[in-house]
Amino acid sequence: MKLVDRIIGITSIIIRQLLRDHRSVALIFLAPIVVMSLIGFSFQDQPIILNRTAPAIIATMCLVFVFMLTGISFLRERLSGTLDRLLVTSTSKIELVFGYLIGFLVFALIQSTIILFFTIYVVGVDYTGKITDAFIILIVLTITSVSLGIFVSTFAKNEFQVIQFIPILISPQIFLSGIFIPVEQLPWYFRPISNIIPLTYANKSLRNIMAGYKIEDVISELGILILFAGILLILAILSVRRN
Amino acid sequence: MIENSIIINSLSFSYGKNLTLDDINLEIKKGCIQGIIGSNGTGKSTLINILVGRLKPSKGSVHILGSSPEVKLLKNIGFMPQKNSIYENLNVYENIDFFARMQGLSNKNHRKITVKKIIDTVHLKNMSKEIVYKLSGGMKQRVSLAIALVHKPKILIFDEPTVGLDPELRRTFWNNFKNLSSKGTTIIITTHTMDDAIHCDKLAYMKSGKILINQPPEKFLDTNKNIYSLEDAFIKLSVGKSNEVS
Repeated sequence: MKLVDRIIGITSIIIRQLLRDHRSVALIFLAPIVVMSLIGFSFQDQPIILNRTAPAIIATMCLVFVFMLTGISFLRERLSGTLDRLLVTSTSKIELVFGYLIGFLVFALIQSTIILFFTIYVVGVDYTGKITDAFIILIVLTITSVSLGIFVSTFAKNEFQVIQFIPILISPQIFLSGIFIPVEQLPWYFRPISNIIPLTYANKSLRNIMAGYKIEDVISELGILILFAGILLILAILSVRRN
Repeated sequence: MIENSIIINSLSFSYGKNLTLDDINLEIKKGCIQGIIGSNGTGKSTLINILVGRLKPSKGSVHILGSSPEVKLLKNIGFMPQKNSIYENLNVYENIDFFARMQGLSNKNHRKITVKKIIDTVHLKNMSKEIVYKLSGGMKQRVSLAIALVHKPKILIFDEPTVGLDPELRRTFWNNFKNLSSKGTTIIITTHTMDDAIHCDKLAYMKSGKILINQPPEKFLDTNKNIYSLEDAFIKLSVGKSNEVS
């Protein structure tokens, strides 16, 4: 029971701290809407492109914002000494990472809900699938992104360095995951890379679900995404060290 | 019978090829206030890090309450680092409550009573709803002290706890420490401040990774050798004349 209580404790301080930072909260929810509006209204007359791009943008937003949020928050914990202090209590590394995971999952899901509804009801993208199926994909993608953020924060000494990881780790995913050009149409030398990045599978499954497919129809993509999430979660737990 | 809370045997630690702790032997009795003094870079913080399980000894052993430093043991240790290491965006109550929860105080009602009591102890009753970043340095240190004390640990480890405190607050801190020590809590304090060192039951002087002397503070003084204060003793020891003091 203490394990669950500690996880809830960590989750609640993550949420409480973020909620006290009103400007960040506003940006977390407004920035994706601005981006989605730009894309949505630019492709207003080209619904085929819009229907293809919108699901991928939702997934990308989830990946990028959660990655930045986690990477910077975790780095702050390291720099301020609170992480060290926490690790001198009887809290385990698993409790710590899961507490973080759930805290950011809450924000990621609220953010995803806003983008999803904005995309469907304001931008007017076609959506014929089950909303809950879309959330399953986004939850797994959030776990991937939080884990990546925690893992990467180990290698950064300041917030600026966390941001520098975006061109290295996130941009290739945006360009090679089929958002703008379908993976099949990418040059042959890029296609193997597309197969080893989580966003490819998130985009593909979310696109299919928004087009009316069921979760069981995208089970192979979801399975690979879960595998990525699992591997990165283990790496994140291992990267938190007491010494 | 007074038992030992901490036993350190032939402890050495190296950062790469740099030997930071060299054959440390120390026994700390239950309820003792053990001071550790020495110039910067003599290995005090490394020793503290080994005691709280953040570093593993290269050689030798450490036994705290009969076992090696490990996660299970940490519920018996209260640690106050030199840097406050508290959540600036949370209020005083939330900070202490959070760390109490992390130390295993899972019952909400019991925790509420415990946290309120400790806030009283560190004289922050009227500040419990204040966000930490608005507090003065001294008040933040009180929050940090409360976090170390909240789970009633058997051993308290303080890394320079009174740096930057005004004399009145320092006295309050020491009154708390002595009260805890009289109830059987073992306290380890690293310090540069001779005003603090004089309050310790025993004082270990460290130099180049070794403990050169470990004795009650008054034994450091020797009027025949012109050592009238702990500061005189510290300066003599620091320039390499340890035999003059011991």
